[in-house]
Amino acid sequence: MQILIVEDEASLMESMVSYLEMEGFRCERASDYHTGVNVLDKHNYLCMLIDLNLPDGDGLELVKLARDNQSESGIIIISARNAIEQRVEGLEAGADDYLVKPFHLSELVARVHSVARRTHMNGGEVLGFGPIRVEPEEHTCYVDDQQVDLTRKELDLLLYFMANRNRVVTKEGIADYLWGEYGGDYGSYDFVYTHLKNMRRKLMDAGCPDYVRNIYGIGYKFSLD
Amino acid sequence: MKLLTKSTLYIATLSLFLFFIMGVIFFQVLKNMSLSDLDRELGDLKEVVELYLYDYGGAQVGTLPGIDSLSVRPAGSATQTEDIFGDTLKFDLKTEQYRTYRYLQYILEKGGSNLLVRIYKSTTPTDKLVERVTLMITLMVILFLAGIFFLNRFIFANLWKDFFDAIEKLKRFETTKEPVILGEQDIQEFDELKQVLEVMTRRLANDYRELKEYTDHTTHELQTPLAVIKSKTELLIQSENLGAEEMKLLEAINTSVHQLSRLNSTLTLITRIENRQFTEKEEIGLAGLLDRHLELLQEHIGLRGIMVEKQYRDGGRVVIMDQGLADLLVANLLKNAIVHNIKGGSIVVETGPGNLVIKNDGPPLEFSQEELFTRFVRDTRRTGSFGLGLSLVKKVCENYEFKIEYSFDQQQHTFTITFPY
Repeated sequence: MQILIVEDEASLMESMVSYLEMEGFRCERASDYHTGVNVLDKHNYLCMLIDLNLPDGDGLELVKLARDNQSESGIIIISARNAIEQRVEGLEAGADDYLVKPFHLSELVARVHSVARRTHMNGGEVLGFGPIRVEPEEHTCYVDDQQVDLTRKELDLLLYFMANRNRVVTKEGIADYLWGEYGGDYGSYDFVYTHLKNMRRKLMDAGCPDYVRNIYGIGYKFSLD
Repeated sequence: MKLLTKSTLYIATLSLFLFFIMGVIFFQVLKNMSLSDLDRELGDLKEVVELYLYDYGGAQVGTLPGIDSLSVRPAGSATQTEDIFGDTLKFDLKTEQYRTYRYLQYILEKGGSNLLVRIYKSTTPTDKLVERVTLMITLMVILFLAGIFFLNRFIFANLWKDFFDAIEKLKRFETTKEPVILGEQDIQEFDELKQVLEVMTRRLANDYRELKEYTDHTTHELQTPLAVIKSKTELLIQSENLGAEEMKLLEAINTSVHQLSRLNSTLTLITRIENRQFTEKEEIGLAGLLDRHLELLQEHIGLRGIMVEKQYRDGGRVVIMDQGLADLLVANLLKNAIVHNIKGGSIVVETGPGNLVIKNDGPPLEFSQEELFTRFVRDTRRTGSFGLGLSLVKKVCENYEFKIEYSFDQQQHTFTITFPY
């Protein structure tokens, strides 16, 4: 469960490492291009997070190198640049996902999980949480073997919660993850509440305890206790 | 109106007016002169008539040299001391037409009896002369005007050439932001214009570049600290030993950072549009684009109970533009129509060969229409908005020279984009 992080901004690196380690990942740090190149083969990484703007080299080159070296690993580009061409360029260089700074750590974790699922499990993976079972590739969700009919967005929301279990996730984070640019820009988070309400109701109707806790208006926590 | 047209018109109007007055005066003077000539001639003829009457006893009336016609009859009781000049019409047997004649009437004493004599002289030759002269003058006027017209064109093509060059260059300044540098000027005024323009546009271009770089750098440099604050806040939230008070503070920080990063990314976008970094050209069907965005926005629309009505005529307009900008344009217009709508309101999207129209229900603007597309002008009733969406729309439209108009009627806001080609 090793994750390589190549990021020159120390403070941001610390944040990512702390959050990912809370999730049980182990992190290898590289603060510049050359360190990144040196540690590329050090582990069999689950996922590599690579900043494009490095002081001593082009992150994109590193992405290409990483892709050649470790074909099994997921690669997520984290960049301050948010242009379609750059996204396309990054994905063409071999990245699996592209995350624009500033991002939510919860979103980063959800994306790491999602990329890891795609690259390592070849689909067919089953995620469990208490009595809940989700088959992400099949878009199906079960509670005690009884199928729950969740919409696409509700399922994404559930997966987001499951990736960030026991963590407080903010409503802005949820909106950005589920809708991207179409999220918070609408000045209200009503639609987050609506989807959340529906997801909780459907799960509870199927006999699942309500695992979602509202945390002082700032966000939600999904945990067994 | 063009400078050329206007100056030609001025000159033409003035010269026509002057020529008309001069013509009238000239005509009158000529006419009077020829009349008085005629009258003097008639007076001179009196002698001829007297001689003739003495010689021939006044029996016959016929033609005499210089006289077109003569009538002599007893004056009877008529008395007349002075000569009378007059005009009359006489029927000409030869041409079977009435002709104008000038006559001199006087009383001639002959052998104790008074004779009333009228000497006629045809005015046709003098009339002809006046006519000819008038015609020639008219011709001269026409020639003169034509000359003026061509001279004016010539002046404009040559003298003012540099001026028009300057205008062309200034027009391009809007897009290129390159200082306007004109060639050598041999006309003093244009040389001054050249210098003023150069200094002014150089400064403008410089300001523009600096502002652009500043925005560019600021937005970019802001991203990292924002990412740090955002991630640290998120980490802090995870802390187990925070009470309600601390969480409230964190929420305020979180919300503000979130807004700040959205603001930043929008400003980055505007800067990129201004820098013309969106240069792809694709054929984009607006109907399909609208459908796709409406689909993406379905949840926002449904949540507010908004009804959407689509009217696509002739398959809707197809535009050639950058896909990213097309998305931005439509997304922001629709977003605007959604968030400023009323609960259970409606949105009408129309596109035909020439335009794109988006209408939505909603309360009137809180500010003037002129400010609508200005940055940071926003509805205070809504929080979390920066008032950048429509200025983005405007920027995209400017980029492609689309015309965007806004109107408000019967609680309905209408945005109309018309395409120039």
